Amino acid sequence: MIGGLFIYNHKGEVLISRVYRDDIGRNAVDAFRVNVIHARQQVRSPVTNIARTSFFHVKRSNIWLAAVTKQNVNAAMVFEFLYKMCDVMTAYFGKISEENIKNNFVLIYELLDEILDFGYPQNSETGALKTFITQQGIKSQHHTKEEQSQITSQVTGQIGWRREGIKYRRNELFLDVLESVNLLMSPQGQVLSAHVSGRVVMKSYLSGMPECKFGMNDKIVIDKQGKGGTTDDSGKSELGGSGKQSIAIDDCTFHQCVRLSKFDSERSISFIPPDGEYELMRYRTTKDIILPFRVIPLVREVGRTKLEVKVVIKSNFKPSLLAQKIEVRIPTPLNTSGVQVICMKGKAKYKASENAIVWKIKRMAGMKESQISAEIELLPTNDKKKWARPPISMNFEVPFAPSGLKVRYLKVFEPKLNYSDHDVIKWVRYIGRSGIYETRC
Amino acid sequence: MPYLGSEEVVKELRRALSNPNVQADRLRYKNYITKVIRYMTQGLDVSALFMDMVKASATVDIVQKKLVYLYMCTYASDKPDLALLAINTLRKDCADPNPMVRGLALRNMCNFRMPGMTEYIEQPIVAGLRDKASYVRRVAVLGCAKMHSLQPNTEIDGTIVNELYALLRDPDPVVVVNCLRALEEILKDEGGVVINKPIAHHLLNRMKDLDSWAQSEVLTFLLRYRPRSDDELFDILSLLDAFLLSSHAHVAVATLRLFLHLASAHPTVQADALLRTSAPLLATCGAASRELRFAGLCHVQQVMRSQPGLFGTHYKRFFCGYSEPSYIKFRKMEILVELVNDENVALVLEELRSYCTDVSPELAQAAIAAIGRIARTYSEKCLDILTGLLGLKQDHITSAVIQTFRDLVWFCPQSTAAVCQTVGACVDSPQDSEGKQALLWLLGEHGDQISSAPYVMEGYIDGLKTELSSAVKMELLTAAVKMFLCRPAETQDMLGRLLHYCIEEESDVCVRDRALLYYRLLQRGVEETRKVVTGPKSDPSMSVLTGRQEEPISEWDSTFNTLGPLAGCDLCPQTAATSAADQPSCRAENELLPESTDVTLSSPDDAEEEISLSLGPPLSHETFEKMWLDLETLHRQTLGFPRPRAAPDTLQAALQLVKIQTLAFTPGDTVPWKAYIYTRSTETLILAELLQGDQQAPGSDESLVVSVKQQPVNQHAIRGFVSVLKSVLQTLNVDTL
Repeated sequence: MIGGLFIYNHKGEVLISRVYRDDIGRNAVDAFRVNVIHARQQVRSPVTNIARTSFFHVKRSNIWLAAVTKQNVNAAMVFEFLYKMCDVMTAYFGKISEENIKNNFVLIYELLDEILDFGYPQNSETGALKTFITQQGIKSQHHTKEEQSQITSQVTGQIGWRREGIKYRRNELFLDVLESVNLLMSPQGQVLSAHVSGRVVMKSYLSGMPECKFGMNDKIVIDKQGKGGTTDDSGKSELGGSGKQSIAIDDCTFHQCVRLSKFDSERSISFIPPDGEYELMRYRTTKDIILPFRVIPLVREVGRTKLEVKVVIKSNFKPSLLAQKIEVRIPTPLNTSGVQVICMKGKAKYKASENAIVWKIKRMAGMKESQISAEIELLPTNDKKKWARPPISMNFEVPFAPSGLKVRYLKVFEPKLNYSDHDVIKWVRYIGRSGIYETRC
Repeated sequence: MPYLGSEEVVKELRRALSNPNVQADRLRYKNYITKVIRYMTQGLDVSALFMDMVKASATVDIVQKKLVYLYMCTYASDKPDLALLAINTLRKDCADPNPMVRGLALRNMCNFRMPGMTEYIEQPIVAGLRDKASYVRRVAVLGCAKMHSLQPNTEIDGTIVNELYALLRDPDPVVVVNCLRALEEILKDEGGVVINKPIAHHLLNRMKDLDSWAQSEVLTFLLRYRPRSDDELFDILSLLDAFLLSSHAHVAVATLRLFLHLASAHPTVQADALLRTSAPLLATCGAASRELRFAGLCHVQQVMRSQPGLFGTHYKRFFCGYSEPSYIKFRKMEILVELVNDENVALVLEELRSYCTDVSPELAQAAIAAIGRIARTYSEKCLDILTGLLGLKQDHITSAVIQTFRDLVWFCPQSTAAVCQTVGACVDSPQDSEGKQALLWLLGEHGDQISSAPYVMEGYIDGLKTELSSAVKMELLTAAVKMFLCRPAETQDMLGRLLHYCIEEESDVCVRDRALLYYRLLQRGVEETRKVVTGPKSDPSMSVLTGRQEEPISEWDSTFNTLGPLAGCDLCPQTAATSAADQPSCRAENELLPESTDVTLSSPDDAEEEISLSLGPPLSHETFEKMWLDLETLHRQTLGFPRPRAAPDTLQAALQLVKIQTLAFTPGDTVPWKAYIYTRSTETLILAELLQGDQQAPGSDESLVVSVKQQPVNQHAIRGFVSVLKSVLQTLNVDTL
């Protein structure tokens, strides 16, 4: 159980402090500030123990979130709870920043009141929370009888994530496949490690209690159907890719609403969706990843005071697709005195404060190549330490899924209300972003 | 900011809150209340405004109500009399037709931490338990726990406990879990909530309705349940199977823990569960958030204690990313060292080498140490890398490499020649004291194989005056003496200078004593010194050859999925939830330990043998006599010194101190002098007689003889007992001389 929750800014000023249990004294707030935020050395562990009290802390941009407890709790759970807390806050007011927290501080106290009671998690689904908390603050008299009964039925129902009686004039479904591709490549171009961690995020605006079925080009399913010889489903793959190839998913996890037993037996993903936005599935693949970019670095030391750097990036996807927001970050030594950059495309700039050359390209089509060369002047130093050569990192966004995942179908059944699968408007989008995409040089 | 003019701030706020104009304007009024909470958050004491805030609670605006309640909960314990004023409003709200208002009021009323609150909240809580809205029931259930924690020592209300047990069947999943939580707290002294067969199966069936936090907690509660038969056990396991692959790491890990616990008699089931959970665990190690990654890594380390091979093929997952925080990198390196095998050794070493040049010296040193660990099995490749690192000529790297060499030579004697060659050729010397110590140790221990050793050491002896660390000086002394034994001609002169300096000019007592010790030792002759100073040159236990033992799962499963794995055992603030049911009394005993009667003494003869003596219940004279006559003498020893001349009381007290009870002894200087003593050790009773001046035993006129009898026989205990006895009597002798 969690004894208290604190939120600080980067200076250590308390923005929010909520204590749930007696065993957490008022000085706990200060203890954390002194021992962790103001500590000189780096954070040694995400769990800090001060005077037999454990502080679990997470940093989001400049904000520290800390959960405090005196019990021997399950660490993974507390961390996941803190992330959930962040998600809920983000759903209510966007990015977690000092300004946002200060502006929404009444709301945060309201949330903290509902999410935890006596230190025990109670209700952390954004959708369900919206029943209890409205930003404007509703007045009790204006509550209609209907709304009241809704609260009762919503929290007594078997399905905790969806309330009954939802109605939409237009039934719509938005499905986003969001992937982040991670790469670590050796200077010789050998892949040291690569994996894709992906999420399927849905926004559903559907009436009633619909039953959804989701299919993708998962290898196991495709193989199964291949054996059966019927291609009944492939004809119905109305939503996207023709999907001849299949992908091997290393592991995947689902939202609470997915019936796990059905997935285990038939590998079919069926569920009653929550209302609004939620994450249906999380998965990871490590095989046959499409690496959208290849970075080829060439570093030459010319004498003791000069470095020549040449970096080539190659885009490796269909020429009809466009990658966006490309940024290559080439680290420079600490004793750099001046940099001359020549690049064919985009803009490159030496940022002394970040010790890096930042090369930005707005858009780049597939199967193209671009190059940057830089001459770095170094100050002569008597520091014997060799420059550690941090890796060249890259950021980008591409309109496909680097894992190769394709949505084959997404069907909606609602037996009680009279709308069918065809009446639902469905939108599918693939976004591949870079995670930690590094090439050593 | 709160530090300046806090009184002014409070005064101004009060003026505003009591201003009728402000009160009339809802928005402005609420703004001021928000301001009060803001100051409260910053740590300013605004308790003086309590009266005004109580007034503000009488409103229809729920948000304002919530803010005022938050304020009141914080300060109620400081102003109990004023808080009572608010209770009427709250009790009225508890009967509101809107369930949300009812729940809110009940929750906050229970949150008031002040004495005498119980009588006001009991009735609303009982009503709340039967409320038709589950929202209110949830609040009321936890309210029971809050009420109990207000008066922890009062008798437990049986009707409420029964009601809570009944509510375990509630249709709302959160109510069910809250019942468990509340019962656990209320019945803490009795060992927590009882999980019997119907409850266990009910919970198992409801598992899929619960949210992930509740699942995790229920799984922990289920650790208490012991299935009656194997059939039942496997039923439970198959029910839980799906949760091994839950989307939430903490649920998957909690399920794994339950599996390991339940299937402790079925190793194959345990192994299968570990195998199946390895995928989610690995996924956690690659999670997007670093804290979760850290938790995952720590648990992987635990699993590897029993199944080192489980993650062998996934070693690339544990390569460090450049931007990862150091706590993750440290853990990953530890795991990589464990995962090395013939196939991946080259790649792993290549990877570790790239960490050696990391900007953080700590990390670089850890990476070098990791290579050193691998070198115990793959010494050749590692030595090449380590030698290469010396070429970088960076102080912290050189120092770490030398330290690694020292450890390597100790554990892995076959690499000695190569190491000595490298050390001899190395020009740089480490600058920090640990590095210096390591280098000196190598020079002293293997001086015969390093041709330049005396010259390097001479440099240190000449620079002794500027050396600050006494540990380095001690190491230097030892190394110089060892070196003298193998290369006397080159070392004699400098050893003389070193000893002279350390004895005459050194201010640190430890160093001086060490120097004097060696000086006296050398006076006894070179051969004597050699016998004392030189010892084994490598780890005599040969732990390298046997390799790491695979520990049984039971070694670690009790701390799995708690705070334990994350930071070593010292972090666990309290025993895990499981122990509550199994051993509540055991915990009480632990707390008493400082005053308890057990004492652990290590015998001076054999440091490894430890024996604990205890007094136990007193023995009557008759019993002692009967036992003494019945039993055989198991051990007789001449102690080699006379009996202590201390007063009888002192002797008795001294023996009592080490838990040896004196039954009787002859007074004064009677000859022969006798004493009968007894003590208890691990499940055995030891009786002993001390005798001096016995004519039957020749040569014992001046010396004490001890005869020991025991039931049941335990030689180990006797040895321990004798050595304890000896050290006490010797101490007494010294005191009385």
